[in-house]
Amino acid sequence: MDTPRIPAVDAELALAEVQARRDQVVGANLVPGWFWPSIGGLMLLFVAAVESGRPAVVATGTVAYVLGLGALIIAMVRRSRVQVRTELIGVRGGLAIAGFTLVLVGVGIGLGLALDAAGAPAPATIACVPVAAGLALGGPALMAHLRRLMLSRPLGSVR
Amino acid sequence: MTVEPRFDELIHAPTRLSIVSLLTASEWAEFKYLRDQVGLTDSALSKQLTTLEEAGYVDIRKAFIGKRPRTSVRLSARGQHAFAGHVAALQEIVARAGMAVLPD
Repeated sequence: MDTPRIPAVDAELALAEVQARRDQVVGANLVPGWFWPSIGGLMLLFVAAVESGRPAVVATGTVAYVLGLGALIIAMVRRSRVQVRTELIGVRGGLAIAGFTLVLVGVGIGLGLALDAAGAPAPATIACVPVAAGLALGGPALMAHLRRLMLSRPLGSVR
Repeated sequence: MTVEPRFDELIHAPTRLSIVSLLTASEWAEFKYLRDQVGLTDSALSKQLTTLEEAGYVDIRKAFIGKRPRTSVRLSARGQHAFAGHVAALQEIVARAGMAVLPD
């Protein structure tokens, strides 16, 4: 091995630097906290507007949803100046994201159908409330989980 | 995948270690992102990136987003391998000294 004689403490500091820089990249890639309640609120607004059945409300809600979603996407794209390596997210991270999505979709559709069958008024809007709450509360928790996962990967891993 | 420890003088220079560490966690990174994170001037960062590019460690891509030029950088396969060997060498030095090694 052609390792030069550098002090062990210097090697330790270099490894700490590598870890800190990874932390920076991971932090820059996580969806910010404000995104989740924003997307949940927009979704709830849109579903309630559509379910109202009044053309003016549907039109206004749709325009507000499209503009709001567009603004969120633009804000996210402008914020993105680095893309985290896919391998850091890995299969476990992908499964966590897929699981989070499936649970919310399942809750929304299942509750909506059940409420509709029970003859409840505005079933889709009511069913959307726990989904929006799940996004607002679960989104940051998902990000925290992904952060832990990405920072736990071996420092020198190669593809 | 097991990587042979190989200390890399080119990567170990403090500024380049910071740059390569950022890149090894990234698919790609914007020039401005690297500049801001490492705290270099445009010319100083360009110089460091040129050194890394000449060693075959990074790929530099220039594109236009609308009318705005955008330079992005990514670690090449060779750079990834060199970095992995360097990290393994650092870990070996620390382990030999009996110090606490960071989570590998």
